Amino acid sequence: MTKTEKGRHRERHDPHWIEWLTGLVSAVLIAGMLGWLGWEAFTREATPPDLSITVLTTEKATTGRRVTFDIYNTATTTAAAVTVIGRLTEGDRVIEENHVVFDYVAAESKATGAILFQADPAGRTLDIRPAGYTDP
Amino acid sequence: MAGEAASARDERSEFSRFVTGLGRGVAGALFLALPMLMTMEMWYLGFYMARERLLLLLLINIPLLVLLAHRIGFEETFTWREAVRDAIIAYGIGILTSLVVLSALGLLKGGMPASELVGKVALQSVPASIGAMLGRSQLGHDDDEDSDDATETRYPAELLMMGAGALFLSLNIAPTDEMMVLAYKMTIWHAIVVTVLSIALMHGFVYAVSFTGGHELSPETPWWHAFVRFTLPGYVIALSISVFTLWIFERLGDSSAVEIMLSVIVLGFPASLGAAAARLIL
Repeated sequence: MTKTEKGRHRERHDPHWIEWLTGLVSAVLIAGMLGWLGWEAFTREATPPDLSITVLTTEKATTGRRVTFDIYNTATTTAAAVTVIGRLTEGDRVIEENHVVFDYVAAESKATGAILFQADPAGRTLDIRPAGYTDP
Repeated sequence: MAGEAASARDERSEFSRFVTGLGRGVAGALFLALPMLMTMEMWYLGFYMARERLLLLLLINIPLLVLLAHRIGFEETFTWREAVRDAIIAYGIGILTSLVVLSALGLLKGGMPASELVGKVALQSVPASIGAMLGRSQLGHDDDEDSDDATETRYPAELLMMGAGALFLSLNIAPTDEMMVLAYKMTIWHAIVVTVLSIALMHGFVYAVSFTGGHELSPETPWWHAFVRFTLPGYVIALSISVFTLWIFERLGDSSAVEIMLSVIVLGFPASLGAAAARLIL
């Protein structure tokens, strides 16, 4: 409890046990968080962004086809302005090439996006790959 | 006859006091919510954030306002019924102020879909209503201040005040892109430093620096008593509020645990200062 007198507050000297319990639980939580972060800080190596893409679905949109994909960053560094290029080829001929830019793909995280194609990817070779990034 | 005249005068002065309270509410809403009304991310969130999360935020705002009203209010609120009435008035002021300011700034237009219009106003009404509620305690200092009376703040109320302060500052900062950018730029070492800094500043603001409304300890109480009982729980509350606001504003995404922790700690910095400020102000 806190006593308020003339605009100043004075903490009671004989607090209820629940105040100590709350304080103790909080101390354990904060120590646990700092301990975990400290452990991560020591054991985690800084690796440059490592990007990979998994194509999820191809479906019909109002204009053309929508190809959705997940982009994973398995490294411990975040990549910014990640450009992803989608290329549709038939034999040696490039039919269509589109790109999309992700503001960020966080470290050890995934992001989801889509590329729209005019032509139907069915029966053709679809290649979606990361083309570059900047450091945040 | 004289009695009637006196009661009529009382009624008039009560009415004018109520109007003054409303005016202070509008001033508070403008003063504290204007930064958010003029933040681009808040306009976008108004139409893209998940409706169930927006609804949850709007619902949580109601008990928060009632508790704040019970504590400070537009007028001296003694009963919970009056607190509920004041909370509803504050929410109303918040909605109207957001509506007027957003329209004046050209952010609400006839051609927009209804969900966008309502979403924008609803989202902004949350900080604006808290501002309206705080307007009275911050802007009205002269009359009927009763701080000379000795009052006791119960421990849960103290923690709730910290939560309200943390929520207010988090709402200001959580929607901005800077939160995520900072977390991406920081290393874990930076996060550990920010954590220690947040806790130290929180404790320092309330106990060491002698602000009006600051807290002091009895000479026989060691300093770590208050540190364990108030500052550490306060920091945990600030971090929890950070998680909540980042989740509400869909900032967590599919990030890994470490990345989430970093952004929570970054937001926890202003949130913990907000929690400390609430203990001084409220």
